[in-house]
Amino acid sequence: MSITIDVSTFFRKYTNGQQVVEVYGNTVGRCLDDLVKQFPGIKQGLFDESGKLQNYIDIYVNGESAYPEVLAKPVKDGDELHIIFLIGGG
Amino acid sequence: MLTTDELERYDRQIMIEGFGEEGQEKLKRAKVFIAGAGGLGSPVSLYLLAAGVGVMRIVDHDRVELSNLNRQVLHWDEDIGKSKIDSALEKLKRLNQGVKIEAIEEMITETNVLQLVADFDLIVDAMDNLPTRYVLNKAALERNIPFFHGAVYGFEGRAMTIIPGQTACLRCLYGGVVPGEEFPVVGVTPAVIGCIQATEVIKYIVGIGELLTNRLLIYDGLNLKFTELKVKKDPNCEHCRHLASKE
Repeated sequence: MSITIDVSTFFRKYTNGQQVVEVYGNTVGRCLDDLVKQFPGIKQGLFDESGKLQNYIDIYVNGESAYPEVLAKPVKDGDELHIIFLIGGG
Repeated sequence: MLTTDELERYDRQIMIEGFGEEGQEKLKRAKVFIAGAGGLGSPVSLYLLAAGVGVMRIVDHDRVELSNLNRQVLHWDEDIGKSKIDSALEKLKRLNQGVKIEAIEEMITETNVLQLVADFDLIVDAMDNLPTRYVLNKAALERNIPFFHGAVYGFEGRAMTIIPGQTACLRCLYGGVVPGEEFPVVGVTPAVIGCIQATEVIKYIVGIGELLTNRLLIYDGLNLKFTELKVKKDPNCEHCRHLASKE
């Protein structure tokens, strides 16, 4: 088994339009590392130059926010992650 | 008290279980503030007007541009160059003359927001940028006014309802700011999200159903999928932490 990441529409330009990506890892951070390994272009959208998660991104694990220790949040097989990009259009 | 005309006009919604004449009277007494007369503000104002809210104040400072017309259905070809407020008012007052509409051409800022929302029962967030949404969020919390959030990007939209002191607020949901303000969007997305916001407003006023509180609704039009994420009150939220004791 693995973990699935549901990629919000903004980030699908980095995943060849894929909405759901299967990743491996025991923390949110490790899962994102695996995502970057599969789709290197997404790194610039997810992390700033110092390697911190961009402040316009939220990660949810099984529908609940991973805030505040987002990258260290443990995950297990079968979990579902959502990457949410902050939007403000109207 | 509803008039004979009102009883006929709103007959189909009065028929809804739990709505009734009492619900319609509540709508008639309600004063709704709508921030923005654009993509979201168009469906929100049209459907709340059609539903028979008592007073509607709509605020915007922009002028109609050609590039607005794919989604801002209150504004038409003939309105290009007009203020959005004049254009909106002209259409809205023809839809339902029983509603008092106040259209204000002004930019919403930290300086004027409390004055603009004063005496209103609900605030609908139909803005096109996050900084002003945060200004409205703070004002709603300060004045204890329910706040109905909606936002769009491309085929994606989001909505959440905020009850000050009881539920997570917009700042609990979002910590940052978006780089750049020009966003892609197809008109059907704000139509969907604006109707969800208007639905929440009607439910709140009438007092039926379950509100979209502590839940972020995500609409993915490309896959025609709705997803819900749980949102918790952030005890360190810079906007609402002082309201924690009201829970």
